[in-house]
Amino acid sequence: MKYLPFRLLLALSLAFAALAPAVHAADQKLVVAMLPKAKGNAYFISCKAGAEKAAKELGVTLLFDGPTDSNAAKQNEIIENWITLGVDVIVAACENKEGISTALRKAQKQGIKVVTYDADALPDSRTFFVNQATPEGIGYSLMDEAARLTNSEGEFAIITASLTASNQREWMKYIQARLTEKYPKMKLVLTRPCDDLKDKAQSEATAMMSANPNLKLIMAICSPGVPGAAEAVKQAGKTGKVKVIGLGLPNENKRYVHEGVTDSVILWNTMDLGYLSTYAGVAVAKNELKPGAKSFKAGTLGTFEIQGDNILLGKPFIFNQGNIDQFDF
Amino acid sequence: MNRYFRELSVAGALGLLLALLAVVAPAFYQPQPLLSLATREAPTLVVACGMALVIICRQIDISVGSQFSVCSVGAGLLAAHGWPAGLVLLASVSIGALLGAFNGVLIAGLRLPSIVVTLATLVSLRQGLNLVRQGEFVNLPDGLQWFGLSQTDGQWTLVAFALGLLLVFAVALRYLSAGRFVYAVGTDTEAARLAGINPQRVTFAVFVLMGALTGLAAMMNIIQSPQVQPLSGNGLELKVIAAVVVGGVAISGGRGSVWGMFAGLLLLACVSPTLTHLHIEAYWEKAIQGAIILLAVVADGLRSRKENR
Repeated sequence: MKYLPFRLLLALSLAFAALAPAVHAADQKLVVAMLPKAKGNAYFISCKAGAEKAAKELGVTLLFDGPTDSNAAKQNEIIENWITLGVDVIVAACENKEGISTALRKAQKQGIKVVTYDADALPDSRTFFVNQATPEGIGYSLMDEAARLTNSEGEFAIITASLTASNQREWMKYIQARLTEKYPKMKLVLTRPCDDLKDKAQSEATAMMSANPNLKLIMAICSPGVPGAAEAVKQAGKTGKVKVIGLGLPNENKRYVHEGVTDSVILWNTMDLGYLSTYAGVAVAKNELKPGAKSFKAGTLGTFEIQGDNILLGKPFIFNQGNIDQFDF
Repeated sequence: MNRYFRELSVAGALGLLLALLAVVAPAFYQPQPLLSLATREAPTLVVACGMALVIICRQIDISVGSQFSVCSVGAGLLAAHGWPAGLVLLASVSIGALLGAFNGVLIAGLRLPSIVVTLATLVSLRQGLNLVRQGEFVNLPDGLQWFGLSQTDGQWTLVAFALGLLLVFAVALRYLSAGRFVYAVGTDTEAARLAGINPQRVTFAVFVLMGALTGLAAMMNIIQSPQVQPLSGNGLELKVIAAVVVGGVAISGGRGSVWGMFAGLLLLACVSPTLTHLHIEAYWEKAIQGAIILLAVVADGLRSRKENR
């Protein structure tokens, strides 16, 4: 008799413990945990904005956490925490492909679904990768935009990061292909590397313009190259005469876009990337999206193509005077 | 004549290159692009003055690129906070001098080899900056570009200032006792000590000056555009060391002049625009610069062998 209150307590707590998962399943919202490479980075903050919109529409809880700097080990730690917490789905941008995959596989073993975005993990550690841009998409968009601005004729030049970087070579390949296929009156007169330095890009662009008086456009396919080329064009007093376009970040180019030096900056829409990734994560968790699917509909953004296990965000996004102020990264 | 043979041969090579350009690509000599390119090299010249001193002192500083980046970002952030341009300049020079003093304490004070110390500071400063900025540009306030002057005035000011500084260094190294001390320490530390010079103090001073000049150069660079890229100093160390070596400053210390360095700097700086004007593939750029450096080192090697015989 003496032990009754204690036993009662024990029984009660056992009953609650058994009930808890049931309550969780029935009542609690689906929990989506989103992992950026670095949580303070404006690029990922903008992804988060899209993810929050999706979470609201879907009625799920969104956790957003990541390292303060790009730190692969810290990413693993955060995933371990989420496994303990028992989230439903992890949506991850991976700093280190091999490093993070072990942690993601562990999460999958615990029944947590995994989708990657921005930077992929190893294929067996996630169900889908939301691919923000294919090299083909980037190369074709750059070339089409260059053609649009020059009425498809005249000389143009390219500034790359380095002549050997694999992503740059890949993009160059598609730019060349598009050029030969569609724009016979345009001529690529030279390609110069800027070593990913804005200041070197400026010097290169200055020399390019003096060596090629008929140059109509400079295309920079590395992000520091775009403001570098723009500053050179501005200092040469050739604003409008020599157009500048490139692959870059809105914040680094806003000034020149508003001054009319740079016409278009090409990248993907980061808010859409966050939105689509969240929708995909939730659909995978609810078993609505399974491997082998050919397309996927994500809320108000419409239907996206799936190639293998890659969900394609689609054509790159063009930032220009009209829309660049809506983006802050 | 013989004494300045090395400087003159570099200047001769530069002259040949410029003559070739005049014939093959006269477009190179348009005033605006030429002034723009000269302005872009002005900060490099300032850093190279310091590097010439460091190498004459038989040391090396490979951390200047990182120092340059740290000063650029520091100065940029202060300017963005609304500090007046004069104070920002002072801050940039001070940050540089502090970084230089740190190297100096380890090298002159603890007598550690400068190549190891500055390799360590090169890497740690660069990574530290990556951690803090993650590559994000610093946006500068509107009035800072060209110190509020017109573009052409600003460019001429920067070029004239860099050339003036070069002249000051040339005179100081030749005629001031402080300048002669640097040669003395670089030639033979022990002999310098016996002559009453404090080699550690000279070495320390040289590193502080190197840092201060790097801070000054960083300021001269950030006022050329409205944004600061945190990577801006990457590769600067190679550029200036190459200029100094090509210009005939002996890597073994004690010999060379800033005039030779100036010719070397111009020669190397002309390679890239020359290739652009001649429509030669960019692949050649680094190869040609490398060949010039190799040629200079071989010439030095042959000369010292002849002298030792």
